[in-house]
Amino acid sequence: MNEAAATVFVIDDDDSVREALKSLIRSVGLGVETFASAQEFLKAQRSDAPGCLVLDVRLPGLSGLDLQREMADANIHTPIIFITGHGDIPMGVNAMKAGAVEFLTKPFRDQDLLDAIGLALDRDRVARGEQAQTAELRSLFDSLTQRESEVFGLVVTGLLNKQIALQLGTSEITIKQHRHQVMQKMQANSLADLVRMAEKLGIPPTK
Amino acid sequence: MSESDSSASRALSAVFRYGLAVSSVAAALVLAPLMHPYALVTPVFFLAVVLTAWIGGFGPGLVAAVLATLAIPYFFLRPIHSVRLDAAEIPQLLVLFVSGFLASSWSAARSRAEALLRQARDELKAKVQERTADLSKSNEQLQGEIAEHKRAQNILQKQALELRERASLLDLTHDTVFVRDMNDVISYWNHGAEELYGWTKEEAIGQIAHQLMQTLCPAPLGEVNEALLATGRWEGELTHTRRDGTQVRVLSRWSLQRDEHGRPTAILETNNDITDRKRTEDDLQKAQAELAHVTRVATLGELTAAIAHEVNQPLAAVVTSGNACLRWLAGQPPNLAEARQAVGRIIKDGHRAGEVIGRIRSLIKKAPPKRELIDFNEIIHDVIALVLSEVHRNRVSLIPQLAGDLPVVLGDRIQLEQVILNLIINGVEAIGRLKGGPRELLISSGRDESNSLLIAVRDTGVGLDSADLSRVFDPFFTTKPDGMGMGLAISRSIIESHGGRLWATSNSSQGAVFQFTIPASENMS
Repeated sequence: MNEAAATVFVIDDDDSVREALKSLIRSVGLGVETFASAQEFLKAQRSDAPGCLVLDVRLPGLSGLDLQREMADANIHTPIIFITGHGDIPMGVNAMKAGAVEFLTKPFRDQDLLDAIGLALDRDRVARGEQAQTAELRSLFDSLTQRESEVFGLVVTGLLNKQIALQLGTSEITIKQHRHQVMQKMQANSLADLVRMAEKLGIPPTK
Repeated sequence: MSESDSSASRALSAVFRYGLAVSSVAAALVLAPLMHPYALVTPVFFLAVVLTAWIGGFGPGLVAAVLATLAIPYFFLRPIHSVRLDAAEIPQLLVLFVSGFLASSWSAARSRAEALLRQARDELKAKVQERTADLSKSNEQLQGEIAEHKRAQNILQKQALELRERASLLDLTHDTVFVRDMNDVISYWNHGAEELYGWTKEEAIGQIAHQLMQTLCPAPLGEVNEALLATGRWEGELTHTRRDGTQVRVLSRWSLQRDEHGRPTAILETNNDITDRKRTEDDLQKAQAELAHVTRVATLGELTAAIAHEVNQPLAAVVTSGNACLRWLAGQPPNLAEARQAVGRIIKDGHRAGEVIGRIRSLIKKAPPKRELIDFNEIIHDVIALVLSEVHRNRVSLIPQLAGDLPVVLGDRIQLEQVILNLIINGVEAIGRLKGGPRELLISSGRDESNSLLIAVRDTGVGLDSADLSRVFDPFFTTKPDGMGMGLAISRSIIESHGGRLWATSNSSQGAVFQFTIPASENMS
């Protein structure tokens, strides 16, 4: 993962505001992409780098709040910072409840915006890190054989090898070997590690 | 038959009857010689006398008797042709005469009796006829009376029916109708009254009306009763309390009933429930006041919102670019190219903000005002009607002093109403912020020395100090706690677009004076 590749997406229908924001964000060394409307943003090919949205509430066509809802529905969790020319409190409350990082009224202090951007990018990085970790575990889990994944499910419930062997109708020796395979393939150092992995993968302990 | 006719017929009958006397004696003279051999001369004459008397009556009979008495000696007794008599023949003649006389008398008496009888019969007949006529007349009268009576009875029945119908009609009406005597005791109570007040007929009748309904009267009851006795009627609004304790506003009409001597006997009271109407009226008044306020505020509010949004965008861009510029300059080394670009954007956005303001200003100024003939007194009256409740709420007495012959001006009625509305509301609010002192708002119309229209609004409100006086027309300048500072700015641009001037001075005693002029239309005056 490359930290410098973080991108801030600015969506505002006012050219001046868009240009000014672009300049401000670039001045602190962050990447910026600007869009004049929500539709334009949705159509664009975006890199899979960490990022965040600086979004004007009042936009032609799809409004900023509409876009927030659509992204949530599409399971896209890019953090959002709202900026508005006429912020009213209920609107801000709604946006924050729906998961916005910040709600700023124009004209805002540059530091407030940059702090919010920093916070949003951190959140995105953490979320992305967790996502990547889960994906890696998933691929490790997928490398297990049918019998190994069965054993995995029973091991994390805390059963002894003898009990597992009895349940699966095989010898204790065979289970011991499977167990060793599982630990190695999952790159787990201990039973505790394995239990955590099962939790992350959402594997229900087999009964 | 006339009098002369009857006398003529009587004369005729006399001639006939006496002629009969003569002719019967003459006939006897002819017949007697024939009877002479039988010595029946005297009886023939006697017969003639009796016949004459029978038919002709006493007079002719007597004449016939005399003639016969003379004829017999003259024609039949010797010496013939002389009336000289033998003594022996005298008794015979005497008998004849007496017999004739008697026969005549009896005959006369008989015919008199007959005549009397006839007369009596005639009279009776006449009387009977008369009576019959009387009877039939009284019969007719009786018939007429019977018919009259029948008719009267019909009318009475009809009236009774109508009365019953009317009484039930009184029950049908939604209006409350009841009757109370001069001691205020209820004697009639209709269905409407039962519905409105909650007491049934049986409960209400016999009660003291004012006590039962706890009548609240706007005027003293004595005055009301005086008016009622003087004119026979009274009308006004009352507050009554219902059986369930709630109050009801009614429009009440009282009518006084008098007996045949003119003494007042009862009062008919008809009440209409106007609680809802009253409430609606109050609401309407409140709504009107709010509307005037809202319209005014909304116009300014929309304007400020538009200004806020339009100005805010370039402003946000300027601030952001300025911050970016500082950051580019703070870099090691400073990025002058980026900083220069940022400053360029700042300048561009600054101009843009200025253009927005200019556009809004021209929006107010440029919207081509309609030009129509304006009667400013009418405008003032219209606006006063609109703000009256606001004026009352602030306990301000609004005094119009309108000149009769105003110079004719052309203008945009709506815009000019807006100016008057602004000035009056400003004045009222300025007075409203004072606790005591005179609370007068004087609005006058007239002409100035150059023959222009001159309108002045003088208030006795909080007034303006000299610093404020020079700034009151600046946009966003306000001395009111919740003011927007746009009303006078807009008003001035409206007056200026009409070629006039709007200015403020301090009132001589207290408060402020706002005046404006509009030049008279050249082709009209």
